[in-house]
Amino acid sequence: MTGFGAEGLLVVAETALAVEGADDAEALVYRQAGGLTRFAASRIHQSAWREDLWVRVRVVVDGNRVGTATVHSADPEAVRATARRAAEVARTMPPDPGYPGMPGPAAYPTAGRHDQATADADPATRADLVAGVVRRLPDGVAAAGACETREVEIALANTRGVRAAGATTAASFSILADAGSGTGWAEGTEPALADLHVAALGERAARKAVDSREPRDLAPGTYPVVLEPNAASVMVQWLGWMGFGAKAYDEGRSFLIGRLGRRVCSPLVTLVDDATAADTIGVGFDFEGVPKRRVTLIDRGVAASLVYDFRAATAHGVEPTGHGLPAPSAEGALPMHLTLLPGQTPQAELVAGLERGLLVTRFHYTNLVNLMETTITGMTRDGTFLVEDGRVVGAVRNLRFTQSVLEALSAVRAVGAETEMATEDGYGAARAPALAIDRFAFSSATTF
Amino acid sequence: MEPEELTGPAFEAAVGAGAGYADVRWVREETEGLTVTDDRVDDLEAEDSSGLGVRVLVDGRWGFAASAVVDPGRARDLARRAVEVARASAATGGEPVRLAPTEPAVARWSTPVTRDPFAVPLAVRVELLLAACDAQRSVPGLAYAKATVDLWRRRTVLWSSEGARLDQTVTQTGAGIEAVAVGDGDLQQRSWPNSFRGQYQAGGWEVVESAELVANAPRVAAEAVQLLAAPPLPERVTTVILDGQQLALQVHESVGHPLELDRILGMEAAYAGTSFVTPGDLGRLRYGSPAMSVTADATTPGGLGTFAFDDEGVPAQRFPLVTDGVVAGFLTSRETTLDGAGSGGAMRADGWASMPLIRMTNVNLEPGQGSLDELIADTPDGLLLSTNRSWSIDDRRVNFQFGVEAAWEIRGGRLGRLYRNATYDGRTRELWGSLDAVCGLEDWVVWGVPNCGKGQPFQNARVGHGAAPARFHNVHVGVRR
Repeated sequence: MTGFGAEGLLVVAETALAVEGADDAEALVYRQAGGLTRFAASRIHQSAWREDLWVRVRVVVDGNRVGTATVHSADPEAVRATARRAAEVARTMPPDPGYPGMPGPAAYPTAGRHDQATADADPATRADLVAGVVRRLPDGVAAAGACETREVEIALANTRGVRAAGATTAASFSILADAGSGTGWAEGTEPALADLHVAALGERAARKAVDSREPRDLAPGTYPVVLEPNAASVMVQWLGWMGFGAKAYDEGRSFLIGRLGRRVCSPLVTLVDDATAADTIGVGFDFEGVPKRRVTLIDRGVAASLVYDFRAATAHGVEPTGHGLPAPSAEGALPMHLTLLPGQTPQAELVAGLERGLLVTRFHYTNLVNLMETTITGMTRDGTFLVEDGRVVGAVRNLRFTQSVLEALSAVRAVGAETEMATEDGYGAARAPALAIDRFAFSSATTF
Repeated sequence: MEPEELTGPAFEAAVGAGAGYADVRWVREETEGLTVTDDRVDDLEAEDSSGLGVRVLVDGRWGFAASAVVDPGRARDLARRAVEVARASAATGGEPVRLAPTEPAVARWSTPVTRDPFAVPLAVRVELLLAACDAQRSVPGLAYAKATVDLWRRRTVLWSSEGARLDQTVTQTGAGIEAVAVGDGDLQQRSWPNSFRGQYQAGGWEVVESAELVANAPRVAAEAVQLLAAPPLPERVTTVILDGQQLALQVHESVGHPLELDRILGMEAAYAGTSFVTPGDLGRLRYGSPAMSVTADATTPGGLGTFAFDDEGVPAQRFPLVTDGVVAGFLTSRETTLDGAGSGGAMRADGWASMPLIRMTNVNLEPGQGSLDELIADTPDGLLLSTNRSWSIDDRRVNFQFGVEAAWEIRGGRLGRLYRNATYDGRTRELWGSLDAVCGLEDWVVWGVPNCGKGQPFQNARVGHGAAPARFHNVHVGVRR
């Protein structure tokens, strides 16, 4: 069950393009295959391998009537039937006066990385990594988590001449260590399994779990914090979703309205979206076949740019940035390769610079409270520590934060030098360093 | 190709490769999601996804393999891969999995549907949503109006090595409208019948018709505009009445999830989290006031968690989770159940590509008495909190915070001024302990929650919650500054 190869997927895509009566046609083929080994109470309890392949066909008739249909199959007849169905849908749809056409051929940048060993990783490889980490746990510490390896292949063809194909891989290892009255967490995600330092992740999680034992109460309030990269990444992912897309901006559902070109946070903060970075996961084109470009979203604290899909770019008379989702999209463009650029301060020194505050390992179940204020809420989890005079003096019971992301980024005192990639609840990923923030609002507390 | 042409070879290969137990699921899911924004179709997603999932036990270890790319030969390969996965899972040792017995069922079942929603012409659906947007936009002051329809039909053919042969088709339908007003640095929305694309139920086009989108559109739009001019909700401690839409999510997050036995036993610790409830709490722990009775019911007509058999072939069941405020049961599976007890029939996968997990079915707050109007009239001072906007809860399901679209003051038994940006927060048992009234059947609706996340790889389940508006005391509203 080896992959089709991205070029092989192009053959599947081209099958869909010959649609009778179509003015434009496009086929997007997406294949993902991989395994995930899951453990809890220090034993593997679920383990899976799966392969999905879907073909999404977009057909335009009568100049501007647009229909789409998707099938999970590579069978040529099923793909052709899906194209016919998309055409039927298109003939039913009302005209779309804003239909911008489809992109034409382009040169694509190198993006992401495909590592064959990661694509080929077998269940025994993942299980052995898990077993090795579990064996090294200290007495009295149990672990839960997951080891995942996967390969993604994407191809896109349209009747305007686009032929785009790419492949990438990803490997991740997450571990929650449980030491009784305390838990600890560590997570790593890299394009290649060999670049994951699994043993170090296990040791870090176990150390945090032991240090988290016997947490004390801390009254909710506003404290200086150091957010470790995982927590900082979640903040960045939310900000990315809250309004950098041109369609969101045009519809009024963007925090950037009235703020573009103005200072929105600390000059220490620069946020980019860059699928071409060597340490990200992705391919060189978006879901419309437009080359992905590096976009600086926040430049040293100033809100700098939106991201555009083909439709919004055409409407605004600018070049698309390569952030399109499968079109047509109610959401519009989204930045999906976010990196908060690192600073100069080693992460350990961020804590050393904290007179009295909190060190936060990770957030849990974050959600939007107020989009225009960029306010989100969520809990701390698996390692929340009180810092006094630059030293961790003990764990505290977990706290709920309700905090504007922009206000937090405005209060950044220092930015860590090391970055990590992290995911939030299975949606997307972002790379971020640790952040030292002078004011962070905790609104309530829990019991553990 | 008929599903049996895939399930048969996969099944034989799994057993032949050494599986002590095997189940093979062929699933086809057809979905259509339509979104209209203002005067144009913003998105139409029509998807046809079918594939095969093979789950095996080898020496008491699970293995699972699934693919959308299947023919009989690849189905056999898939089964052998599932066995390979299971053998690798022995690396960490531990007790072998044992399955509680269940009678292998041979049956066919389909959701009762009055009108097949997929047979309703697309043009009719588009016309309805354009009309619903038009009716919203008749109210000045909106930034934009949305209207949506979602259709899901999932056929599952399940074979097990114990003899189960099941063929089940579940049809679910949803529809909603959303009015958005923007101004003065704020964004306000009002939705109907529920937020996040509306109300979803098992059934057909009749679910869409019952939502009365066009008739409700002007009111919903007007409320969105009013919200923009309303004051923010001040922080205080007060009595609140949660409407059914919001209460459904409160039940979901603070009752349903904590009573999933896999969470209680730590099997979901790393991702979704665990629970403050322990196995020993059964029959002992006071979860809420005597006004609180909650039932898990996979037979509730119209529920998103309604089926005939779960994805282990266990028949749909109805049983109490909380009786008169005391823990009375857990959501369980064949593997994860209390000693001597059978499965509660709550194992569900989100498609062919996923292993089944313990999921909510329809977790219903049993109705009390009286109408919402009567409950408001009986409330001297408080708030009516309506329609979810935001949700968050800690990983043991203790500390929660919700945001709602609208909050109306209740003064002297009557609704008063409207507040925007309303939130409330608290701790699970304190909130449920303060419950003193649940409205009756006339206001009891099975609300659909179509986006319940759990598991690794991530799975999205569609579950139901019967709820009528209910009243809680001493609730903290607004955010502490």
